[in-house]
Amino acid sequence: MTVAPRPDGPDKIAGRTIFGTDLEVPGMLWGALVLSPVAHGRIRSLDLTSARAHPGVVAIASDDVPGLVEHRMGDPERPPFPREEVTYRHQPIAAVAAPSRALAREAARAVRVEVDPLPIAGDLDELFPEWPSSRIEDPSRVAAHVHARKGEVERAFHEAETVVAETYRTAGIHQVALEPHACVAEVRDGVWRVQSSTQSPFGAREDTASILGIPETSIVVDGTWVGGGFGGKGAALLEPYALLLARASGRPVRLALSYAEEFRLGRSTLPSVIRMETAVTAGEIVARRVRLLLDVGTSLPGRDFATGYAIGFLLGPYRTPSFEVEGYAVRTNKPPLGPHRAPFAPQATFAVESHLESVAREVGVDPVEFKARHLWRQGDRTPFGQRVTPFGLPAALERARATATRWRQAAPARHGVGVAVGFWSTSTGAGGEARLCLSPTELTIIEGEREIGSGSVLIGLSQVASRRTGLPIERVRVEYRDSSRAPYDAGVFGSRTVGALGRAVDEAAVALLRTLGERLSAPGPATLEVRDGEIVAVHGTTRRPVSEIWTEEEARVGGIAAEGKHYGKSGEIDEHLVRDGTFYAFTDFTGAAHVAEVAVDPETGSVRVVRYAAFHDAGVVIDLPSARAQVEGGVAMGLGTALTEESIWSDDARLLNAGLLDYRIPTLGEVPPIEIEFVEGFPGAGPFGAKGLGEPPIIPVPATIASAVRDACGAHVTELPLSPERVARGLKLV
Amino acid sequence: MAPFAVVAPASPDEAIAELRAAGPGEAVVLAGGTDLLFDLEDSRVGPRRVVSLRRLPWRTLDWNGPSLTIGSTLPLRAIETDPEVRRRIPGLYAAVRAVGSVALRHQATLGGNLGRSAPASDLIPILLVLDAEVDLLGPSGERRIDVDRFVLGSRRTALAPGELIRSIRIPEARPSAYLWQRVRPFHDISHMAVAVAFSAARSAWRVAVSGFPPRPLLVPEAEEALGGPEPGPEAVARAADALAAHAPIVADRRASEAYRRQLVRPLLQRAVQAIRAGSGGR
Amino acid sequence: MTEPSVHLTINGRSMAIAGVPPEERLLDTLRWRLGLKGTKEGCRTGGCGACTVLRDDRPALSCLTLTHDAEGTSITTIEGLEGDPVGEKVRAAFDAAGALQCGYCTPGFVMALTGLLREGGSSIPLGELLEDLGGNLCRCTGYAAIVRAVRSAREALA
Repeated sequence: MTVAPRPDGPDKIAGRTIFGTDLEVPGMLWGALVLSPVAHGRIRSLDLTSARAHPGVVAIASDDVPGLVEHRMGDPERPPFPREEVTYRHQPIAAVAAPSRALAREAARAVRVEVDPLPIAGDLDELFPEWPSSRIEDPSRVAAHVHARKGEVERAFHEAETVVAETYRTAGIHQVALEPHACVAEVRDGVWRVQSSTQSPFGAREDTASILGIPETSIVVDGTWVGGGFGGKGAALLEPYALLLARASGRPVRLALSYAEEFRLGRSTLPSVIRMETAVTAGEIVARRVRLLLDVGTSLPGRDFATGYAIGFLLGPYRTPSFEVEGYAVRTNKPPLGPHRAPFAPQATFAVESHLESVAREVGVDPVEFKARHLWRQGDRTPFGQRVTPFGLPAALERARATATRWRQAAPARHGVGVAVGFWSTSTGAGGEARLCLSPTELTIIEGEREIGSGSVLIGLSQVASRRTGLPIERVRVEYRDSSRAPYDAGVFGSRTVGALGRAVDEAAVALLRTLGERLSAPGPATLEVRDGEIVAVHGTTRRPVSEIWTEEEARVGGIAAEGKHYGKSGEIDEHLVRDGTFYAFTDFTGAAHVAEVAVDPETGSVRVVRYAAFHDAGVVIDLPSARAQVEGGVAMGLGTALTEESIWSDDARLLNAGLLDYRIPTLGEVPPIEIEFVEGFPGAGPFGAKGLGEPPIIPVPATIASAVRDACGAHVTELPLSPERVARGLKLV
Repeated sequence: MAPFAVVAPASPDEAIAELRAAGPGEAVVLAGGTDLLFDLEDSRVGPRRVVSLRRLPWRTLDWNGPSLTIGSTLPLRAIETDPEVRRRIPGLYAAVRAVGSVALRHQATLGGNLGRSAPASDLIPILLVLDAEVDLLGPSGERRIDVDRFVLGSRRTALAPGELIRSIRIPEARPSAYLWQRVRPFHDISHMAVAVAFSAARSAWRVAVSGFPPRPLLVPEAEEALGGPEPGPEAVARAADALAAHAPIVADRRASEAYRRQLVRPLLQRAVQAIRAGSGGR
Repeated sequence: MTEPSVHLTINGRSMAIAGVPPEERLLDTLRWRLGLKGTKEGCRTGGCGACTVLRDDRPALSCLTLTHDAEGTSITTIEGLEGDPVGEKVRAAFDAAGALQCGYCTPGFVMALTGLLREGGSSIPLGELLEDLGGNLCRCTGYAAIVRAVRSAREALA
């Protein structure tokens, strides 16, 4: 396959691209955070005197915030620094800025903090050893509770021929974007300006405003090139501290995390325990009961969306006549939970897919056949009553099944072949806007998102504009602007860039073509083409060089421009089923079926992935190279979740593996060749029928690997990741 | 990082004088730096003086009949790219390639690995089964000491104050193998490893284990169980039993004790097979 | 105590760099004193390869190198590959294969591959070459496109 060179490729390959960590402005100070030495405690004393004694050093803590932010009207739940109580290890207690990195570190060390330790809540199993047989009554531990049910669940279980009950556990995992969080802030003339490596300049602005208690209009967030996000750079993290230091010092301040800090105080996924019960009669699922304990660290009550979101994936994409789901977001003394590419869907999918495989085996049906029989089809209702939009997952599963059959026939001893599916929905609910400007030589998309790597901004949006207008993609340019000058957009997350922001671009393109049609005096919208190097507006046989139209419009209204907005509606669930909490609806349904062949070492439990195939419904694929690259990258990331990645927490909530040698993301040698195919004919709600593809590729991977391991050696591993030792336990070697 | 001074003496004598001049714990030796700098990054109390060996003429690799002498500051990459090492001591080749990445091995040294003496060292076990000796140079002159007596524990060695590792001598190129177990096959820390070599001169096997605290160790019971040059399947099984029974295995956060005990059997068996096949490991 | 200047050849230019504190890493000297920001800061502990440079033509981790201890050596950074016959081929291969997404690991990969190919040329078996790139982490691409780039760069040198 020939691959079109990426527009950002040459600069990135030559090392010319400036990321957040590379920012440097004249007169800049270096910031550093003072971090809590314990996971839970009461601050007895905090003394900044010795830090401030260093020449040129500024040091701030909770008491300084009111003086730095006049008329503060902040969210009292989210102060930048704790006043009395620290609730996780490495929580920022104070911040310093100094003329050099070394001096900043020294000054941070000079801050004297005394904290009286308080009891630490660490491990879920230790907190609630009797769960789920006993209920969780301690409200101080519960950040959120969600509960829903449909039908006569107890009776269904009572009368069923077969009931299978299992418990699954998943580890906390970290995004590991290679670029740590970094920003440079400056406060001047009442404008709080921060350049930051962020997935969402507008989201960071909103968060920062809420934490600092200043209006969003006083804040400008200017996104830099982003060295990977994966969900970890969606919300504000360092921006408020950097801005406060800049305000206090009157100088620009750079603040960046070391990689150890990235692990320790970045927002990552935390452990979970999942209880699954399924009742089957005559080969049909009659009822399911799913319970979830999700560690959300110190996430604040009401600010956790994860539980209500995660729980939607635990029933899987399967017809389920009656069910009960209940989930608890459990507060522990770990950092607040954060989203990680397809938040919790890979973990939930691992549990539901592995469990239904157990169920199928128990009732003597081929697991893939069992799943295929129950899979949603377009027009079905989900358990929560949503109508399923065009849905290519059944077709993808058939392709996967054929591949698995072929691979299994050829597989040598000790090899196994696994199949699993996962579903997702494009976050089209979050809004976005874009502006298009047409000059005689090119079409410019003006928007407020930085390219984070997937190509969704630079390539995806350009493809949308190119397809709609007819201009070749080389004539389309994306122009990023900071949050004070760009149209609003929610952020590069949720597989939404093309699906939602792309709709805004498309709408703007349609408006632009309509304007051009009017300037041609044509009865409808024009299209664009390039003829003899010149952009020409065309309608039927009428054509005019854009340069002519541009000259007129320039004089009249300043140019040829159009705006588009897309504020999509989320789907709706049947609220009658909800007993407590908030459940989230899915929108544009999408999904994938994956196949893996693995070799399991019967004596050590080591798993080697031999080959992999991914069949995806991505709606109408609008840029094949980028789409394939998303699948390649997502599968590899999923292999880490499946096999090697795990945050290891001590009993006192200390992260023991805060480094890239002990937190193991896949290296080049572990990722097998991946066959990729897109099933067609299931258009989505995005432009030209596109669906989001940033997250789906990671979702089925842990389940697929677990299925293959089970096929290879019979080891049924119920805990992620499937480390060699866990597989060895599954093999009863240990 | 606390401030320190970096000095790079031009001769071994100057280096020893530098170390002697510093008080106890005040000076550290810098060879490749890949382990030392890892530690220095976040330490509050560091050494006052870092004595770099980069100017010393110890980046050497000399074959002398059956024996091989490796200068202590030779980068590991130069060991693995020596075709004779790969052919004649395959276990050493395999162990060197188990360390870090290529870029790291262009910096890291055999002397540094021994001097820093990490419990999960990939190099100490193979040096143990090769009966390697360490040539030391210090204020009271030269001495030679077995690797087994040089490595005392986790981050503890028999280096006397002011002493430096000049070279490592492998008296006899041996059929050998190094097998490790990790969560991630590449670029990871081995949580269990077995090194095996056969000495034709002594007609004896050497077996060492590594990957857990406090230090890599020879396990004579396993060596005896292997017996002569051509151990049959029963002898290998007995040796594996002996290894599992006698290796002082403990748990840490990387692996449980039971899992490590399970691992020593296949690792030993595969190491013996590798030697039979003339390869150094995987 | 005033530190002596460090003498380095950076991208072919000899220079004496004054005022470098003894604890400073080569990574920081390159980035913050010399403005060579193409060398990326990742983990600073040798775990990711983002800071890979060539030291006397061999791949080296600038995060685990004290600048003073690099005295007298020749350092090549990503900025110094312009016009380098091997480096240009590697860069072209990465571009043609689309072997990048966010681009943060890319300079380190380019430097590591350039160093390996300079060391062993196209005679290195592909499998060994790939294994030897294991110290360079990429979180975006899943390595597939990078493997394609490695293959074509190796072939381009044959």
